[in-house]
Amino acid sequence: MMTIKLQIVIGLAILVVFLILVNMIRRRSLELKYALSWFLVLCALFAFDCAPRLLIVVSEFLGIYAPVNMIFFLGFCFSLVIIFSLTVALSRMSNSVRTLDQMVALNEKRLQELETELKRYKKEEN
Amino acid sequence: MENRKLVIIPAFNESGSILKAVEDIREHAPDFDYVVINDCSTDDTLALCQKQGLNYVNLPVNLGIGGAVQTGYLYGCQYGYEVAVQFDGDGQHDAAYLGMMARTLLETKSDMVIGSRFIEKEGFQSSGIRRIGIRYFSGLLWVLTGKRVTDPTSGMRMVNREVMQIYAENYPKDYPEPESVMAILRMGKKVTEVPVVMKKRKEGISSIGGVKSIYYMIKVTLAILMERLRR
Repeated sequence: MMTIKLQIVIGLAILVVFLILVNMIRRRSLELKYALSWFLVLCALFAFDCAPRLLIVVSEFLGIYAPVNMIFFLGFCFSLVIIFSLTVALSRMSNSVRTLDQMVALNEKRLQELETELKRYKKEEN
Repeated sequence: MENRKLVIIPAFNESGSILKAVEDIREHAPDFDYVVINDCSTDDTLALCQKQGLNYVNLPVNLGIGGAVQTGYLYGCQYGYEVAVQFDGDGQHDAAYLGMMARTLLETKSDMVIGSRFIEKEGFQSSGIRRIGIRYFSGLLWVLTGKRVTDPTSGMRMVNREVMQIYAENYPKDYPEPESVMAILRMGKKVTEVPVVMKKRKEGISSIGGVKSIYYMIKVTLAILMERLRR
């Protein structure tokens, strides 16, 4: 079902992706919080890569005929979960941006007013 | 303390008409203060505000009409206004009605006064298909709250301090009018309508049309239904 060569290639690919993820977190371009789910995927893939029999066992357990169908199905479900969590995060983010934007605008207004008041005050002092 | 009143003028690329709106207010509603909310315009609206010494608040990131108007309500709360009214800068609204609206707000002890085009059916009545949409929202509000609002999409709305605070906290992002009326009706606030005449806009085009109008109908309907589910 899977040659040893393919297993090694896939294993190496997983390792490379893992290193890229770690490096991105190290450089702070990826939040650890959001990387956790991807680490989970990598772990699952690695487990299946090391023991391909697992695939058959799991798909039989779930009552799915072909292991490949199970991969498609689970992958699809997992993608949906990630996309959904992204829209939730996006909603929260856009609310924060709105509040920040409004506060910046109002503070700038306040600052301008204080500046003109200060100028007038200084003029009166002289 | 006297009853301080604020006119909120949301402006996105309205350099062609904003001055006229401000002059209109100075002339026909002199007991009102005004604030222009420049929603990150890409034309020279900001430069014009600075040059003419208008009272303006400048949003550094574009928020859309809902976010801009909400900024006005936040401003009103922060500066201690008792009454705030939304007033479009595109020449549709007439400042001469503001005094009458403020009196109505006080006399009827309402929380919101809406300037409605459809009570006396004078002036620019919007196109036929839009009127059907407006009547639909009006019906929806009636079914869900038992209250009659003939012009729930009107942008000319005056509110008291209490509603100002509610809106400062929560205000819909886009196409906010029907949804926000629903929100305060649900809270048991009193909404009164007065007849006004609106003009056809002089500058700019309506934000609603084509495919967007389908999105508009669906979004606002869902938003109103969601509002019904709250609390």
